[in-house]
Amino acid sequence: MIQFKALFIKEIKEALRDKRAMMVAMMMAFMAPVMIFAMSKVMISKATEKPIVYVKITGGEYAPKLIKHFETANLMSFDSVPEDKKVMWDERNITLTIPDTFAKDLSEGNVIDIIFSADHSDKAMLIPIKRVERAVRAFSLSIGYKRLMVRGIDVKLLQPLNLIEQDTAQPNSSPLVITMMLGMYLLMTAFMSGLPLAIDSSAGERERNVLEMLLCQPVDTLKVVLAKLTSASVIAVIGVLLTLTLTSVAVDFVDLAKIGAAFSLDMYTFTALLSLLVPICVFASALQLFFAFQSKSFKEAQSTVTMIVMVPAMLPVALMMMDDRPKWTEWMPVAGQSLLMEDILKGIPTSWGMIGFTGLVTLAISAALVLATAKKLKSEKVVLALS
Amino acid sequence: MIEVNDLHKSFTKVKALDGLSFSAKDGEITGILGPNGAGKTTCLRTLYGLLTADQGSASIDGIDVLKDPLAARKRLGIFPDKFGLYERLTAYEQIDYFASLHGLQGKAKHQAIETVIKDLEMEELAHRRTAGFSQGQRMKVTLAQALVHQPKNFVLDEPTRGLDVMSTRVLRNYLARFREKGHCILFSSHVMQEVAALCDRVIVVAGGKLAAQGTPEELCELAGEKHLEEAFVKIIGSDEGVAA
Repeated sequence: MIQFKALFIKEIKEALRDKRAMMVAMMMAFMAPVMIFAMSKVMISKATEKPIVYVKITGGEYAPKLIKHFETANLMSFDSVPEDKKVMWDERNITLTIPDTFAKDLSEGNVIDIIFSADHSDKAMLIPIKRVERAVRAFSLSIGYKRLMVRGIDVKLLQPLNLIEQDTAQPNSSPLVITMMLGMYLLMTAFMSGLPLAIDSSAGERERNVLEMLLCQPVDTLKVVLAKLTSASVIAVIGVLLTLTLTSVAVDFVDLAKIGAAFSLDMYTFTALLSLLVPICVFASALQLFFAFQSKSFKEAQSTVTMIVMVPAMLPVALMMMDDRPKWTEWMPVAGQSLLMEDILKGIPTSWGMIGFTGLVTLAISAALVLATAKKLKSEKVVLALS
Repeated sequence: MIEVNDLHKSFTKVKALDGLSFSAKDGEITGILGPNGAGKTTCLRTLYGLLTADQGSASIDGIDVLKDPLAARKRLGIFPDKFGLYERLTAYEQIDYFASLHGLQGKAKHQAIETVIKDLEMEELAHRRTAGFSQGQRMKVTLAQALVHQPKNFVLDEPTRGLDVMSTRVLRNYLARFREKGHCILFSSHVMQEVAALCDRVIVVAGGKLAAQGTPEELCELAGEKHLEEAFVKIIGSDEGVAA
């Protein structure tokens, strides 16, 4: 125990004094709220803002009330388009033709044909077209309602059915993109935060000729690996904790309800996410140490281990693509956690049993990696980086 | 007491040790002399268990280094060929770290650290981080961490390389004091004067084998030369890799 304590304290002391490595370790945590904040802001503004649409209106003078109604919906006449946007809106060529008999037909109760033309195949035009259509329909309905009302008829008669739309959130809808990104980000944090320490305490120490010195001491290599693993995992867990805390603070500042996201980091979500991520921190550090110790140099370790970081980034995407996921992906390290995290962030209830089981499998694989690394450290090839 | 028996070790095509045998007794300073590539470092690395011999055995105070490397290392103070420092720790923290690895704790540990710092005259360095230390200062920290647990046996691989005269003298006096206390000291060197001045017995290694052994005087007598350097060159049959 004296030995383990000494090994662990030394690793933590060295890590805390390595300012650059600590900065990298904590960078993920400090970037998280910025990312969440910026992404949500963009999505909310996209979803809720109604930018001005310029429409080429012919015969506007015959229907001043309709034009006014258009203006309240931010649909402006092409005459008022600013110089810099003139070319773009001219090309978009949204035209609306109001007949000169508008006032007469309206007073006589005739159907008025308003001609609306635009390029319906242009994706960028979809929203402007919908807005013009909605504005015309709303204006038309309001006149219709008034007509019925003056005749003493309840307007509800016109609405025998009421369609209530509920977003079942397909993966490309905006709130889910945020939750998916957050899930991926948290996995990346677990992998990235302990990385500088894992490489420095293995390949780095060998390059600085201190590993050889350490392995000449009466210490079991298992203790050496366990101490290095514990310290790297502790730093990674701190990174994850910080990310979660800062994210939950950042989320409070963004009104996600505007885009229909029922997303909050309450105590339950926080605890569930943390229970999923702690085993991942241990697994990531074990994996990094395993590969870093086998690399011939610090540089080689850096490139190999950085490749490993791609795992959490790629896996959730790969899983999303799979239509029929094999059952084992649910408890495999990283994949299992990624799936469970997706459910938690979506607000789907998850069982603690499943969280625990995935964690146990992950820890068991980490233990196997630790034993393999400890065994490798007894080999002269690994210790002296012989080829 | 360090004993090496018929050690063989090959690296792919190179035969580094070819049946080397010798012993280093308690209360004596034993020097290993040999040209570059003679197998000195390989032999010492086998002693502290970093390398596994293909054949033969090595023991520290009767403990076989292959069978029980941890117990053998407990009785050893090691100054390796390649040594580095934890540059983000102070000299004191490093010595403390190695003392803890040898199981020292509490007052006894503190006392041991203070003693070794005083003996190696490194009070001024003790609480500075080791980044930027000179070669001599680095050597002192490495020595201090190797010797803090007062091991019965010291193995030093060219400990005086890069040291100035004052530091070399500190080291020599230190080793001489431990010899008087009955410790077994085994060190490899290139420097003839040092070996002649310090060693009770000299082991000459060439081509991974024992070329000769005895006191410096006996070696001179054996070769029929007045100076150890001449005797050494004659014994190994070439002057390649010998530093004066």
